[in-house]
Amino acid sequence: MNNYDMEDTQNSAPGALPAVQASKLAPRRGPDAQSTTKRLQTELMQLMTSSAPGISAFPSAADNLLAWAATIEGPDDTPYQGLTFKLSFAFPLNYPYAPPTVLFKTPIYHPNVDFSGRICLDILKDKWTAAYNIQTVLLSLQSLLGEPNNASPLNGEAAELWDKDPEEFKRKVLGRHRDVDDE
Amino acid sequence: MANNDMEAQEALARDFQPALEGPLVGDKKSSLAITEEYAKADPIYVVKTSALPQKYSHYRPVLGDGNCGWRAAGFSYFETLLRLRNKAQLEEEVARITSLNNLLKTAGGFSEWVYEDMAEEVTGLLSDLANLLPHSIPQAEATLRERFNDPSISNSIVYYFRLLASSWLKANPASYEGFIPDGLGVDGYTKNWIEPVNQEIDHLGMTLLIDALLKPVGFAVEIVYLDRSEGSQANSHVFQSEDANGVPTNPAGPMIHLLYRPSHYDILYKDQAPQIQIPQNTNIQVQRATSLSHRHNIQTTPAVMGDMSGLDMSIFSCIPGFSLQQQSHHGFPSQYNTTPLEAYTPSSISVSPISPGASSAKVSSNGLPATFPAQPPPPNSLTPPTLPSTHSAFPPPTTQLPILTHLPAPHRPSLSSHTSLSGHPLSSELSSPSSASSFRPSKYEWEAAAEWEGPVVFQTSTFKNSHYNVAHYNNPNFQPEEWTPESEDPPTGRKRSS
Repeated sequence: MNNYDMEDTQNSAPGALPAVQASKLAPRRGPDAQSTTKRLQTELMQLMTSSAPGISAFPSAADNLLAWAATIEGPDDTPYQGLTFKLSFAFPLNYPYAPPTVLFKTPIYHPNVDFSGRICLDILKDKWTAAYNIQTVLLSLQSLLGEPNNASPLNGEAAELWDKDPEEFKRKVLGRHRDVDDE
Repeated sequence: MANNDMEAQEALARDFQPALEGPLVGDKKSSLAITEEYAKADPIYVVKTSALPQKYSHYRPVLGDGNCGWRAAGFSYFETLLRLRNKAQLEEEVARITSLNNLLKTAGGFSEWVYEDMAEEVTGLLSDLANLLPHSIPQAEATLRERFNDPSISNSIVYYFRLLASSWLKANPASYEGFIPDGLGVDGYTKNWIEPVNQEIDHLGMTLLIDALLKPVGFAVEIVYLDRSEGSQANSHVFQSEDANGVPTNPAGPMIHLLYRPSHYDILYKDQAPQIQIPQNTNIQVQRATSLSHRHNIQTTPAVMGDMSGLDMSIFSCIPGFSLQQQSHHGFPSQYNTTPLEAYTPSSISVSPISPGASSAKVSSNGLPATFPAQPPPPNSLTPPTLPSTHSAFPPPTTQLPILTHLPAPHRPSLSSHTSLSGHPLSSELSSPSSASSFRPSKYEWEAAAEWEGPVVFQTSTFKNSHYNVAHYNNPNFQPEEWTPESEDPPTGRKRSS
């Protein structure tokens, strides 16, 4: 992963990349050979200067822009009110032309999240567009907490309880939630 | 599209598996490869694919990764600009694309950080091609292929086109709303069909891309549909700029050919065709050649003919360049080219360099049935064009006249008389097919021709001098018969004007 360091890649990328990609990039001139890195740097800058309330995100390690850690706060007037959830973002090398892989690191009881933290959300799959970014993903997840898509649940029991027994649902949410340490 | 059609398309899509490995944009190869690919397929495909190489000499496969339609059209955009060999136009495109950023921002609603890198890849490639063009065309072509096969660059360029199409739709919703499927609305449609990264282009998406990117540079796009529909040839549809009356505004412009198989696009080429700058010359020739070898049967139609309904336009078919199929070549929208006659006639055809009115009027008024040898009626019929004339003493409407295109010459003398009438040497007009492409007879010529009352004499010598059809004047390979004293017949030769 260190091959894709941000600043360093820009001039030394061809040498550091695997052979196949290096040969493809060889004829390229200019500093934007790593458009993914440039894009993620832009997003980082935006999040630092104008972050939306209730969400935050930052690269996990100083030398790797392709892995981020993020948090969202449970929206008011939902069972998740007052809770904070940690998530991980893994960006593919062709980001933004493929979606990031996003997982809940904090255990969460939700119709569209399974017990491994995997999320069922169309914009993270076939409806991903390059016009989305980390911030839009986090805002979408935040609204998913208050408005689950019960038509295609990953957690069938949660989908059922959401409609039938909000009290029990809230109990399950609180029972499952537990703070996790930073990785 | 009806649900049944959609299902049929889906079923067809299962039959064809586009390449999922290999280069994003492949090397150009003979289109015979497509025929071979389908050699063991459904008979309809076998017939259609074997007809394909007759019209399109080469094709370029595009990887079926969900972006092939966008990538095929985008690659063709750059490649066609390169083929035009016009550095200034490439530079103009840099300016145009740069100015379109404003559309992406205001109409599209995209932030600068979304599109700026992608737009830079597009303008960067255009500038690089412009700079390479004067020095090395092969190097420019290699650069184009390299960029389109570098996933990072290629995907940026392709995604730029998605943003452009999306913005174009948002800027012109009224023009396209009726075509948005499933009541999605403009935003729903762009979010579900245009902007998702691996969503294959649909018909509306292709229309938007052509309207936003290709029509403004004067490029036309022909899409050849290879599917299981009826017919011996693949249907095709031409998208091009048209004025309010549906007349192409740039009929001589370059044309991009795309091969569509359900949910996949590749690029087709007509490389035997002439240089892209002068496509009409050869088109005309080919059209003439085809008209020489086909019989046409003409039925006059009263509704069209009006008060000169007796005037038989069928005779036009023997006049070089006056195509019986001209209607279909004037690029009326939604033209499906399926007849074998039209091979290698992509865009336009024009009427004769001579005024047909003279010959037809005279011949008609002299009694057509008498001057035309009896011929068995050939099978087709067609609607002749109207003519501003007021002749009335003609055979009644719906007279069916069997006309062989190898016409036994009764029009020849009237051509001569028209020549003297208009004062132009017939030979100079006829022997310059390149000028024919833009020629339109004025109504004054038609009238002058129609009002010509001079005597027309079918002299034996003239009759014999004729080669049945003056089209041979336009054939570059035409060799006139030479008179030899030994010949038993009276002299025959190429008589230009008398």
